[in-house]
Amino acid sequence: MEIEKRQIKVNNHVFMQEVVRRFRQEGRKSVTFTVYGISMHPFLGSGRDKVVLVPPAEPGVGQVVLAEVLPQRYALHRIIKIEGNVITMRGDGNPLKMVEQFTADKLVGTAEAFIRKGRYVSTNSKLWRCYSAVWQACNPVRRWLLAFYRRIILKIF
Amino acid sequence: MKIKEGFELQNVCGEYIIVPTGIENVDYSKIISLNETAAYLWEGCCTLDSFSIDTMVELLTREYEVDEKTAREDCEKIFACWVEMGLAEE
Repeated sequence: MEIEKRQIKVNNHVFMQEVVRRFRQEGRKSVTFTVYGISMHPFLGSGRDKVVLVPPAEPGVGQVVLAEVLPQRYALHRIIKIEGNVITMRGDGNPLKMVEQFTADKLVGTAEAFIRKGRYVSTNSKLWRCYSAVWQACNPVRRWLLAFYRRIILKIF
Repeated sequence: MKIKEGFELQNVCGEYIIVPTGIENVDYSKIISLNETAAYLWEGCCTLDSFSIDTMVELLTREYEVDEKTAREDCEKIFACWVEMGLAEE
């Protein structure tokens, strides 16, 4: 018997139920886990970075939240609009037209911080707010920036 | 020898994992998982205030078909792992 490092991949829905249980039944204040997927490029790298998720608070535009966007389908994206009880969010790395809509009862949690390349970045930090403002301002040219990032930057670094 | 306080064995999504209790954050990116045999030994040892390698060997041979020499070697190794990871103490 030896200590071995490995990755355990679990079904998203089962894992999210586990996260909800930690919040509601155990009263945990946060859970940390590694993120997968390219929809939050360029800030979050798949399998590299982590999110620190806290129980859902009052949703607000600009927050990054984890929600069940379709039955048993989850996404960790940024809220871009709230109209009545309909929340709209979009991944920073997704095309502008690719949005998800859901109601507040589908929220699993809110991102309190990210751990990017090992560095802790709070969503209250200047760095995060600055990145968010700049990235939103780049919306008109997002396609080209993302293409450059994925085809050039990611291949070099 | 004993298992330190503040840890709980849980079965999550078919994996036996050790979760620290009493802290606010659960970090799934640094979780300790045990295989079935280790989980069985852990559960057996947890119920005891203190135990020895002999106790572990007895637990193991009671449940698994393994000769005592191999069982002892395995128990010593796994206990050393637990100590290394801060889960148990001499």
